[in-house]
Amino acid sequence: MNAELRKKALHYFFEKIVEPLGFKFTLDVELMNFLLDQEVILENKHGIPFCPCQPLRHKRERDMQIVCPCIPFHRKHFDEIKRCWCGLFVHKDVLDPDTLPQLPPKDVNHA
Amino acid sequence: MNWIYVLDDAALLEGRMVPAYPIGVNVLLARVEGVVFAVSGRCAHMACPLFTGKLDGYTITCPCHDWQYDVRTGKFLDAPEIGLTNYSTKSEDGKVFVSLK
Amino acid sequence: MKKVSMYTLSTCPWCRKTKNYFTQHNIPFTYIDYDLADEATQSRILDELDAAGATGFPFVKIDDEFIVGYLPDRYAKAIGI
Ligand code: FES
Repeated sequence: MNAELRKKALHYFFEKIVEPLGFKFTLDVELMNFLLDQEVILENKHGIPFCPCQPLRHKRERDMQIVCPCIPFHRKHFDEIKRCWCGLFVHKDVLDPDTLPQLPPKDVNHA
Repeated sequence: MNWIYVLDDAALLEGRMVPAYPIGVNVLLARVEGVVFAVSGRCAHMACPLFTGKLDGYTITCPCHDWQYDVRTGKFLDAPEIGLTNYSTKSEDGKVFVSLK
Repeated sequence: MKKVSMYTLSTCPWCRKTKNYFTQHNIPFTYIDYDLADEATQSRILDELDAAGATGFPFVKIDDEFIVGYLPDRYAKAIGI
């Protein structure tokens, strides 16, 4: 399938999901395009648009928790850092995503 | 309520799911503990058809990426803000009806 | 000079930024792209990630210290620049 069309389709599906969770697509359009490109590549390879920034463990139960948008499965952490790990989505009130540090769960409370 | 006939009561077995398309709307019917429930037939994630997934108790699991829903409410178990549309059903004279309102 | 190594993904933009950071500061480093590694290497990397409480990449090791995420300030502090 045409990659640009598939990107649009993913954008369409994901927007509806993240909106009620309080998230939106990042305002960094270059980053958004890069990440969606990677997801289309991952989808072509595995049949599933996995997160481009988290490891596939080849264990279904774990791997299904990093299918984009993976916010529901990592909500506490992502709410704390106001974005998802790869940065495709940010909290709705975020205007400058570049100022958000990419903190892992263990560092969130003593950043 | 505007009740639309979808299938005969006997056609839906306990613990099973079937798709139906009342006036073209994609609906998933499921029977648990004798009661028939109806929710939208496509997953809220990426629209996979749910009838090919699993039904375990009141939990539907999507065949594509395992998102799970409560068949009684349509709610996505990992984030209640997300879910399937939930439709009313009734059984009468051996027939099952759905209201799309 | 401190020894810098990292685990990354070929698909992850933050991993690219991390590599760029060290390149721009003329600090030599080694890296393994997890997604392109063999099974045994992947499972070794996962053990290290899990032990460190890391859920994603990049995973940077500077001598004995490890830093999870693209965090230039912390890299600078760890290297002493
Ligand atoms: S489409 Fe149902 S879980 Fe992804």
